[in-house]
Amino acid sequence: MDMKSGLEELHRRRQKALRMGGKAKIDRQYKRGHLTARERIDKLLDPGTFLEMGILNQSDISGMEDETPADGNIAGFGRIDNRTVAVCAADRTVLAGAEGRVGTFNKERRITKIALEKGYPIINLGDGGGARMPDIMGSDGLSSMTFPVEGLRYPRKVPFIATIMGDCFGGPSWMAAKADFVVMVKGTCMAVSGPRVLEIAIGEKVTPEELGGWELHAEVTGQVDAFAEDDEHCLRIVREFLSYMPSHCDEEPPYVPTNDRPNRKLDEVMDILPDDPNRSYDMHKIIKSIVDDGKHFPLKPYYDPSLITCLARMNGRTVGIIANQPLFFAGAGGAGACEKAASFIVLCDSFNIPLIFLHDTPGFFVGKEAERRKMPGKIIVWMEALALSTVPKISIVVRKSYGMAYSNMAGTNCGADFLVAWPTADISFMMPQTGVNVVYHPVIQAAKDPQAERERLVKQWEYQSAPWRAAAKHLLDDVIDPRDTRGFIITSLDILRSNGRGFMSKKCLQAWPTVL
Amino acid sequence: MAREIVASPMPGIIKSVDVAVGDKVNEGDTLCILEAMKMENPIVAPASGKISEVNVSSGQSVKRGDMLIAIET
Repeated sequence: MDMKSGLEELHRRRQKALRMGGKAKIDRQYKRGHLTARERIDKLLDPGTFLEMGILNQSDISGMEDETPADGNIAGFGRIDNRTVAVCAADRTVLAGAEGRVGTFNKERRITKIALEKGYPIINLGDGGGARMPDIMGSDGLSSMTFPVEGLRYPRKVPFIATIMGDCFGGPSWMAAKADFVVMVKGTCMAVSGPRVLEIAIGEKVTPEELGGWELHAEVTGQVDAFAEDDEHCLRIVREFLSYMPSHCDEEPPYVPTNDRPNRKLDEVMDILPDDPNRSYDMHKIIKSIVDDGKHFPLKPYYDPSLITCLARMNGRTVGIIANQPLFFAGAGGAGACEKAASFIVLCDSFNIPLIFLHDTPGFFVGKEAERRKMPGKIIVWMEALALSTVPKISIVVRKSYGMAYSNMAGTNCGADFLVAWPTADISFMMPQTGVNVVYHPVIQAAKDPQAERERLVKQWEYQSAPWRAAAKHLLDDVIDPRDTRGFIITSLDILRSNGRGFMSKKCLQAWPTVL
Repeated sequence: MAREIVASPMPGIIKSVDVAVGDKVNEGDTLCILEAMKMENPIVAPASGKISEVNVSSGQSVKRGDMLIAIET
């Protein structure tokens, strides 16, 4: 073919691919309140930075070529905040976003390989119902579309982000399950199989919402980290998450300068923390007061909200915060809190993000229901992750810290490089009122005035739980003025990173499973 | 006018109710105290307005999601 007609042919093929599945399908996507895959990529990336790979792809099934522009998956490289990323976006307008052998397997394998070799985050914008018929039919079909296991052989080498932007079954659900961070647009669904398949296969009638709606993943499964009102919001969340992350595991997250003074006094915490130890308060307020510019980024906010896991910055550097939330169940973490803490430690450790712990918990959630969810195992998985993590860790006892939960929150000898308490700290194996009844029951019963004896013992217990005894024996590094907390953390982090290696971890947790 | 429903964020016992039907409240005002795990949790007004319904009384146990109080905003 001569150059002129070659160029014309190229132009014709490209133009056809850019029209995606055609106007009717695109309008349907708008009607559902969603953007097209190409618009999503444009909004995700810095303007004009998209280098597409495989725009000329089409199905390898005879007769399907014309119906499959870019084979239903738009992919390539681009930039976010001027840093290179790889992106793959399922095109709902092409055969309902189902995954073809060419577009999803051949193309993604190539892109994944480059991203892993060069160290670029991978973003998978999911929107489709799994593998395409007939691509996956027959022994040859299925054999040619087995799970792309290469992507699992280099776990957490680069941040892997998945979104759910339409009803997703099969492929995009697996991508979400293996991702380091998942965002879901409200009103969509994520599950193994769709309602239609379920009805035929097992006779179960269920709506997408019941099967895998956002509330289910927010509150029950914890498989999704953040939720978006619409597509644009979802893409903004992805960009924001990446702003806290390094491009790959061998570098530190980007430094973001701030005008927030490192030694700013936190006068407001004196008002946030109630005088009555049995009064709850919102730990988010304490966190916002400590971090740069009052800005933090919570993960899995609705999943066991008795524990907060969030990213933020301290003097320009990303930190991960694990904090008990007294607003929910007094800050007593259940199985969900344990899973959340363990997966967050793994994320931060793998990407060189120091951890800060803020204690205010009466202990772990106990009871029949908690035990049925394997509480001892869950608590120890958190402990295992903590023990193997090698990023700097700072632990601060704000108020209560009782029993095993004190260890999990990086209490004495549990891995914190710096461990301090506020004067309001209350550290013991159980809360005073309960503890006295458990330990001194016979003594109280035998006393002349059991009520007075009980009160005396509670007072004594409270005195012993104050931080002074542990500080005197150097089981705590110090007791600090709460107003100095920001300055203390920043100075400690400076000390911990000035050995020339920065916050780099040894990455003992890289191969940890993504779902616990 | 919109109706803002305040639901219980978790199971517990209502320790006290601080408002009555007809009261005017500002956003952030304490409406009632919910005790859970021996911790007193102030339930605050999500918006300013007038209390139009009080569905709970002191000592009552509530489940997560139970309607506690309604505000006309």
